[in-house]
Amino acid sequence: MKLSYLYEIVLFVMLILLQVLLLNRISLFGIATPVLYLFFLLKLPMGRNLFYVIISGFLLGLIIDIFLNTPGMNAAATTIVAACRKPFMSLFFEKEEYDAFVPGINTASGPFIRFTILMVLTHLTLLFFIESFTLFNLPGTLLRIAASSFISILLIFALDGFIFRRKRGEQV
Amino acid sequence: MRNLFNFILRNSHWLVAILLIAFSFYLIFANNSYQQSVYLTSANRVTGWFYTTTNNVSSFFLLKKNNELLLARNAELEKRYYGLQSLMEKLTTTDSLEVKAFVADSIATPKFDFIPAGVVNLSFSGVNNFITLNRGSSHGVKRDMGVISQQGVVGVVANVSPNFSVVIPIINPKFRMSAKLKNSENYGSVSWDGSNIRKAQLQDLPKHEIFHEGDTVLTSFSRIFPKNTIIGIVSDMGKSRDDNFNTFNVQLATNFYTLQDVLVIKDMFYDEQQALEETLQQ
Repeated sequence: MKLSYLYEIVLFVMLILLQVLLLNRISLFGIATPVLYLFFLLKLPMGRNLFYVIISGFLLGLIIDIFLNTPGMNAAATTIVAACRKPFMSLFFEKEEYDAFVPGINTASGPFIRFTILMVLTHLTLLFFIESFTLFNLPGTLLRIAASSFISILLIFALDGFIFRRKRGEQV
Repeated sequence: MRNLFNFILRNSHWLVAILLIAFSFYLIFANNSYQQSVYLTSANRVTGWFYTTTNNVSSFFLLKKNNELLLARNAELEKRYYGLQSLMEKLTTTDSLEVKAFVADSIATPKFDFIPAGVVNLSFSGVNNFITLNRGSSHGVKRDMGVISQQGVVGVVANVSPNFSVVIPIINPKFRMSAKLKNSENYGSVSWDGSNIRKAQLQDLPKHEIFHEGDTVLTSFSRIFPKNTIIGIVSDMGKSRDDNFNTFNVQLATNFYTLQDVLVIKDMFYDEQQALEETLQQ
């Protein structure tokens, strides 16, 4: 249990660094920016304390905001998604599943893929709409949401498959 | 009563979520106080240090290109130096008996001073773009100072900490400055519509204004930029908001993708001018 928390802290820090130092400098075709830090919320154990989920989601967004000079935008979007995590989960996963179960692309492909797509779409829709408050350009915003979601989801699956494949094999 | 307590206890995580979301939205909408807080921006010590360290690595890969730019700039300055030198010679060898009724003071203080700074972070993926510089108040940088690069206008300093400063560049919708075409006296304003990082919009120029593609766009009256600093080049006609004014797309002179070194403009007479203008308002 202790090890799991340590592991989560490392993931938290690594995702922030990845987002701030690398991914936010990418702007594919000027519209698609991968947003990967939501991966942290996706990979928390299913039965994790809701306070823990919401507060860590808020902190994650806030730290990203501080680095990117976007006042509260990532924090707002990520907190909302963190709060919606449990209702979203109950849509796709069986209730009886073990509390410490970490969803992953290798362990529960179908539900995990659907869950990820819903989470990322919600998150990026909120994020880009909050961001474009000052500059309303609906087709442009929708295009950016679609393109960014697509590339983010793809990268999340790749990252998940890459990190967790060997780990899973050891544990079983 | 007990039911109420139970209800609150059972749903307290929603309460926490709502509080945190409210706080986030407070940050979003309380923009002014945010801009002044150094702690929640990349100008604070931790984030600034972080960006400096990583920038040391990435700037290495741009050394060659920057070197070329500096050489080109050097060549240009050398050319001007020789031009001025030959002018000097011509002036000093003219008839010394000639009476000059009016001679400009040759040791006048320059109006502008420049503080060289390095870009430690630059965002251009979203709409809210900004630049972090590795010079702050301890180096003399203050809020509302102009920032230029070798190529042209970059932006305006928005926030300063002792060792770092955050610049709002042209490619931020909050940025706005007055500008004019090189061969005309009409003023318009430059802003950015958020679509293309290499192009800004020059608005509010009168319809009768004659223009050509490739016309140079310069700064006009400005408290923070020297007059006639290059902003960019007119590339084509843009969408106009009303019938009386033209809007042009301007290819920006500064390439934000590869921006590495900038100059912060320090107006030597800023305080004096400010004080003078304030006496009028009272």
